[in-house]
Amino acid sequence: MRTVAGEYKELSRRGFLQMSGLAGVAAVAAPLLASCSSSGGGSQNGQVELLVWYWGEQEAPGMKKFMQQAVAKYNSSQSKVKVTAVLQSSDSLYSAFAAAAQAGKGPDIQYLWGGTQALGDVWLGYCSPLSDYVDSAWLKDNIPQATLAETNWGGKQWGMPFYQIGTAFPYNKKMFADAGLNAEEPPVTWDAYLTALSKLKKAGVTPIGAGFKDQYLGGWLASYFGQQNFNSVDDSIAPFRGSVKYEGPMYTEWIERVQDLVTAGFFNDDIQSINLYQGQDLFTARKAAIVTSVQPQITSFYRTMGGADTVGVMRSPAFGTGRFANSFGAPAQVLLLTKFSEHKEEAAAFLKFLHTPEMMQLMYRESGAICPDTKFEASWLDTETDKTMWNWQKTLPNFWYQYYYPLPFETNGVDPGLQQLWQSGATVDSAISTMQGAISKWGDQSPAQLDAYKTWKPLEH
Amino acid sequence: MRTRRWTPYAYLLPTLAFLGVVFGYAVVAVVLESFRVPGLLGVMHWGRENYHGIFHDPLFWQSLRDNLKLFLVIPAMTVVGLVVAVLLFERIKGWRIYRSLAFLPYILAVPIVGVVFSYILERNGVLNQMLDTLHLHFLVHDWLGNPDLALWSIAVIIAWQQTGLAIVLFLARLASVDEQLYEAALTDGANWFQRFWHITMPQLARVIEFFVTISLINMLSWVFSYVYVMTGGGPQQKSYVTELYIYQNAFRNGLSNLASAASVILLLVATAVLFVQAVTRKAVDRIEV
Repeated sequence: MRTVAGEYKELSRRGFLQMSGLAGVAAVAAPLLASCSSSGGGSQNGQVELLVWYWGEQEAPGMKKFMQQAVAKYNSSQSKVKVTAVLQSSDSLYSAFAAAAQAGKGPDIQYLWGGTQALGDVWLGYCSPLSDYVDSAWLKDNIPQATLAETNWGGKQWGMPFYQIGTAFPYNKKMFADAGLNAEEPPVTWDAYLTALSKLKKAGVTPIGAGFKDQYLGGWLASYFGQQNFNSVDDSIAPFRGSVKYEGPMYTEWIERVQDLVTAGFFNDDIQSINLYQGQDLFTARKAAIVTSVQPQITSFYRTMGGADTVGVMRSPAFGTGRFANSFGAPAQVLLLTKFSEHKEEAAAFLKFLHTPEMMQLMYRESGAICPDTKFEASWLDTETDKTMWNWQKTLPNFWYQYYYPLPFETNGVDPGLQQLWQSGATVDSAISTMQGAISKWGDQSPAQLDAYKTWKPLEH
Repeated sequence: MRTRRWTPYAYLLPTLAFLGVVFGYAVVAVVLESFRVPGLLGVMHWGRENYHGIFHDPLFWQSLRDNLKLFLVIPAMTVVGLVVAVLLFERIKGWRIYRSLAFLPYILAVPIVGVVFSYILERNGVLNQMLDTLHLHFLVHDWLGNPDLALWSIAVIIAWQQTGLAIVLFLARLASVDEQLYEAALTDGANWFQRFWHITMPQLARVIEFFVTISLINMLSWVFSYVYVMTGGGPQQKSYVTELYIYQNAFRNGLSNLASAASVILLLVATAVLFVQAVTRKAVDRIEV
């Protein structure tokens, strides 16, 4: 042991035991002390510190730049609150928040994918109601009812819509024209859709580019096609509260339609071995005529692939007979107040700041993403595809099935069920059976969520 | 010199405290979590529902079976590792380069291996393009997209990476075997196979046992990264290992308590494997004595 004078002296047994004891106490005490410390946000020198964990750069490139500017603007506009925003990765978005929530310390504002993906964390008790901190009149005045409905439960509003992800099919106009199709009038009915896909295939083009390996595609297909026979939001959640079975044309006709596409060979042949984003890349590589996509990404395609001459956008073609057959899904990703935040009022004020016209314009300019707000103006839009989707949003029902069913239905039912359709000899019945099994299992394993569904009176719109 | 009875324990205290905090606390916390059942809005109660939910979930049993299927590559890894180690020990020409090459896969990060092999094994990936070029069309398959092949494709990649460890372990043990044993056998006229069977194998027995044991544990609880990156458990959940079951329930399905229960079961299975190995070893030791 080195002394102050720099000389060595022998370590006595007593000394060693004392050090050992201290080390033992330190080892036990350190985590205990750490667990007693405060959460990420807090107060310093009278200034409230807010911590925001957000996501979005992946589906709306430029979101990080927007957030940095928004935070800088907010911090410089007043001196009472200092906001820090941290971009999360896709893989850690939910896991990091779950760990933080269980520990009771973490961000004041958490980004979550919308609908039941956010309500799942609400039901676990990780969040506080937004409507306790933001005036309901403000919410009604600013946020469209269909968007509010996605995270409205138990008579309370939980999520503040951050940006919407209008879901549609971008298509390559040049490929359409080369296949003898009218590139300015994409198909809107199912029969016209099948005809168009056949012509594209005949022209040597992969009609639909997609990737299913990472199992995100199932939710898209279930929403594009699976909601077409619903007449209300309540229809969509009825099988999950146990009042009806997931069977019959209202719930399962769409699986037959997907099988039509699969058996006709309209998807790329490697769909099962590539990821969703790899499938979408087939569009930018000009190897596929149509892909599944979202509005900010479509805007990016539009801006990088030749504008209106190359990129058009179409809705899911209709085959169903329900109110949502002719609809446009523009679900919103949300920001929520965490249960453990000590500054919910200040956090809610920052969320409202993101809905000011200046911020909404900035977000669109930097990332191409649209903030779902009645004050958003159509004149700010600068691409034809955005204008088309905006027009749909103003004239058609806005509904996205994925935001209303419990996620395990997708992971254990929709994904493996649909993947069966690519197997030779697979039947629609076996896919339906897989989905029914997933609902039953979800009810057994998640009684709390089942209770949440049983008491859910969704906002109709 | 007299030593108080508690003195040795005092020396052990720091390490025990460290292990207790790092491992013991975590295990106890997971076990407790596994018996907590979430109600609405964070209300919890104690119960066995999480275990009930798992035992009645066919996907859990299938994922456990998939782990056990991966056990089947361990003999292959051991035999290949043994053959390569013995060849290198024989100092074949260029053995130093071969030794480095054989160990190289083991030091690569698993996610990188997963991503690279995903590109190679895709339906239109490098492997199939190569087979096409060689007119071996009958060998072209969707290695990761076919539910009958996906798990085995992953197994081959795991074996490819983990065999490097076997080679290095076996080679290190061979290098420490007393040369006189081989010299005596040569003097007695033993041929190569006899030397291998009666000297090399007995000398390697312990290290082979060690390798097999850690491989069993790895196949049970250390293959998540391969599966997550290469197939995500699909297609049709046909390459779904227990770790992925835990991850999906904890972080995608929002069932963290159920995931804790699955973790406890996995821990018990791994402990059972270690117990069987220890009992077997004791029995073998008794026979040898």
